[in-house]
Amino acid sequence: MIFSGLPLSQVLAIAGAAGAAIVVLYLLKMRRRAVAVPFSRIWDRVLKDEDATSLISRLKRLLSLLLQLALLALLLLALGDPRLSAALVTGRSIVVLVDCSASMQSTDVAPSRLEAARGRAREMARGLSGSDRMLIAQMDAATTPLSTLTSDTTELMAALDKIAPTEARADFPRALRFATDTLRGHEKAEIIVLSDGALGPAHDALGDVHVGDTKVSWVKLGERGDNAGITQFSVRRYPLDKSRYEVMIEVTNTHDQPKEIELSLLGDGDLVDVTKLRLGPNERLPRFYPNLSGASRALEARLRNADGSRDDLPADDVAFALLPERRRVRVQAVTVGNTYLDAALLLDEYLDVKTVAPSAYPAPGKFDVTIFDGVAPKRVDAGHALYLAPRGEHSPVKLGKELREFGFDQWDKKSPLLRWMLLDTIGVDEGSELLAEPGDRAVASYTDDSGKKRAILVDGKRDGARFVALGFDPRRSDIVLRVAWPLFLLNVINELVEEDTRYISSFSTGEVWKIPAPSGLSSLEVTTPSGAVARVAVQEGRAALLGQRAGVYQVRAPGVETAFAANLSSVDESTISPPAELVVDSKPSGPPSAFTVGVRRELWLYLLAAAVLLSLLEWLTYHRRVTV
Amino acid sequence: MGLLDVILRRGVRAPARAKDDELFDDDFQKKLDVLSLVSRRVFSGKSRAERRTKKSGSGVEFKDHRDYVEGDDLRYLDWSIYQRFGKLQTRLYEEEEDLSVYVLLDTSTSMGFGDGEKLRQGKRIAAALAYVALANLDRVGVLAVRDAVNRTMQPTRGKQRIFRVFEFLRPLAADGVTELGPALRAFAAQQKRRGLAVLVSDLYDPRGFEEGINALRYAKFEVLVIHLCDAREQRPALHGDVRLYDCESGEEREVTVTPKVLARFAEAYRAYGDDIARFCKSKQVTYVSADVATPFDELVLRVFRSGGFLR
Repeated sequence: MIFSGLPLSQVLAIAGAAGAAIVVLYLLKMRRRAVAVPFSRIWDRVLKDEDATSLISRLKRLLSLLLQLALLALLLLALGDPRLSAALVTGRSIVVLVDCSASMQSTDVAPSRLEAARGRAREMARGLSGSDRMLIAQMDAATTPLSTLTSDTTELMAALDKIAPTEARADFPRALRFATDTLRGHEKAEIIVLSDGALGPAHDALGDVHVGDTKVSWVKLGERGDNAGITQFSVRRYPLDKSRYEVMIEVTNTHDQPKEIELSLLGDGDLVDVTKLRLGPNERLPRFYPNLSGASRALEARLRNADGSRDDLPADDVAFALLPERRRVRVQAVTVGNTYLDAALLLDEYLDVKTVAPSAYPAPGKFDVTIFDGVAPKRVDAGHALYLAPRGEHSPVKLGKELREFGFDQWDKKSPLLRWMLLDTIGVDEGSELLAEPGDRAVASYTDDSGKKRAILVDGKRDGARFVALGFDPRRSDIVLRVAWPLFLLNVINELVEEDTRYISSFSTGEVWKIPAPSGLSSLEVTTPSGAVARVAVQEGRAALLGQRAGVYQVRAPGVETAFAANLSSVDESTISPPAELVVDSKPSGPPSAFTVGVRRELWLYLLAAAVLLSLLEWLTYHRRVTV
Repeated sequence: MGLLDVILRRGVRAPARAKDDELFDDDFQKKLDVLSLVSRRVFSGKSRAERRTKKSGSGVEFKDHRDYVEGDDLRYLDWSIYQRFGKLQTRLYEEEEDLSVYVLLDTSTSMGFGDGEKLRQGKRIAAALAYVALANLDRVGVLAVRDAVNRTMQPTRGKQRIFRVFEFLRPLAADGVTELGPALRAFAAQQKRRGLAVLVSDLYDPRGFEEGINALRYAKFEVLVIHLCDAREQRPALHGDVRLYDCESGEEREVTVTPKVLARFAEAYRAYGDDIARFCKSKQVTYVSADVATPFDELVLRVFRSGGFLR
């Protein structure tokens, strides 16, 4: 017999104090209820007879005292939590990994695979033998332990109640590593995976997961794989007409049977397009919706079977996307006159252009971007700037060697300044090399005959404002005759005001999102689709958040109010057909060891039951006047 | 008494007061009239207000002779005796006088025990007997006794005086300890005229019920004992460990009440009543046991039938 509860010394101390208290209370005269009688002399006759039985009465009281002491002894023993030595030796240590990924919301097992997993885990908790210990962990994009390694059924049941579904992939290798670490050093260690098996290989950046001697068992949940889902959803505005946009949706039939589906696109809640599609077995079908208009912000794609029914996994039948915000940009053009510049700026109706002569600089009012055409006066405003062929002492970059008959030899192809532009055929008559300062970035350069690179397009920051400088007058080149010219101007303006015209793909659930944040902020407030509010720290202009819910997230901060969308967008997760086996560490997982609801071996339960029984006996004897 | 009762000033005594106010209502007085009539019918043929006393006096019924002494009324000289024996003998006649009826109501604390029904029943019985006596032209006095004569309504006569009786009885409250011996001795000493003493009491006298009854007997009163009993006192609603205290003396006794103890108490209670009845019978004192649950008019009739009140 081993006591695993309170130490023996404490139990004995409590026994001494409580026992003494009970005895003292019995020795003390009981305070009786005072009752008035009309004539006590009649009671005297009765009490004479009663005295004869007082000895028996005392014995009965003694019996009551003994009952109380026995009760105390049983409770103290229960506090000591006695266990049979043999029971401690044979216990198992089990980590139950409950898969809470999106595929577990499949309804092929009523009401869902996740609820079935919860039910199986409850059966296992109830079937633990007295010396077994179990830990419940939620497995999704992260691994969250919901209980300690315990044999307390109540704690395990409470942990199972906390399990919640997510719309993300499960990170199986991470969960396996967690379980293996938890069970390291335990005898009879076992990992039980409650999952549909859509987990991918047990392999990550650290390599294969090795579980050693730990037994890995798999409880397979799920019966079939009748599902089609939206696996990509992207949207962008047209650069030269931001009122119009283009959408790309990819749908995937993960079933091994052909499916007919109905795909709906909604803009700001209104139906924009409905398409019926026929998908072959395991077919991925991208679909473009060009030149759309009407929606100003939110787009939603919905999928259902052509007959109106729903497939087994509704979680991937809806996806969201948000168009970039459109706002008017105030542009100041400081120029003596440039037709090409004026014409290019007319292309974007969202630009408010104010043209001023260099002598009239600055124009009254505030401007987001100022274009200095061939001049570089002293800056008296705080906005961003584009310098075309800057010269003079106030130029943000010094001019280097004069260049003649040159072109773009190298440029940063990922730079948003040069997006959609074809530069290698552009010829320039004359210009100057730009001497970038530390911290500036040479976006494009020309390689002269000596092989030295001469920067001709520089991006940088001065006094907290960004600038872009072009080393030549555009009119001294053929760029003004090409489509690259207005694209360049609009790219620069969009970049300087941080407006994006790329394809905006939504975030994928289950990943750490890096949400762009304006510089100077330390944190953002993010409201999830479920309405929960989280405060996320901003580091280096990005707020990192592990998102596991699909939908539209609202972002708030002082001076910032924006939103972004997140979607499941995972072909693997949409493939809900359970695999035949789950391989971990090159071994297929078997069924879990037996859990049978039986007699528990914690003796304290029986001691407590005995105490309750004795208490009942005492109650009965008291009210039947046996012990009083 | 609950908090609501306190807030609404609903005291537990209020119903008792209400009961006292309704004690002698019209219905009660009608019942008294009936009792008065019934008493005449049941005892028809017997003399009314003509009770012979042990005194010799100026009545019409001859009693005895005695030697003539100077100053005797010559009208009562028996001239036939003088003619035959030559002695002057004065004829004595039984004096006719109205009977004095004293109703002695115990007002000790025990009479008000529980819901006070014993005292109320005692008041009803006292009023009824007083009414019948007044209707029969007797002199009726009512006294409240406990350890002394607490209050006295001087003897009065005439049926209309019943309202004085009501006024006297109505405010009486149960209080104090029972000591009938000293109280009734004091009563006997105060009353010059002997007569019928009706003791209405629960006879819970720590000194013994005999002392009070004997005090009346020794003072030459005819005694009628009406023993008020409450069956609820015989079977008290007690259980478990209790500390009993006497409502009058405060004496305490610790008892563990079990069904067996309750049965023994009921037996002792019955034996106490039997002792009183036995004592009264042995001393030729009329005894009537009156349970508070029995309607008072039925009890009064039982008193009539016992013969101790009307002859």
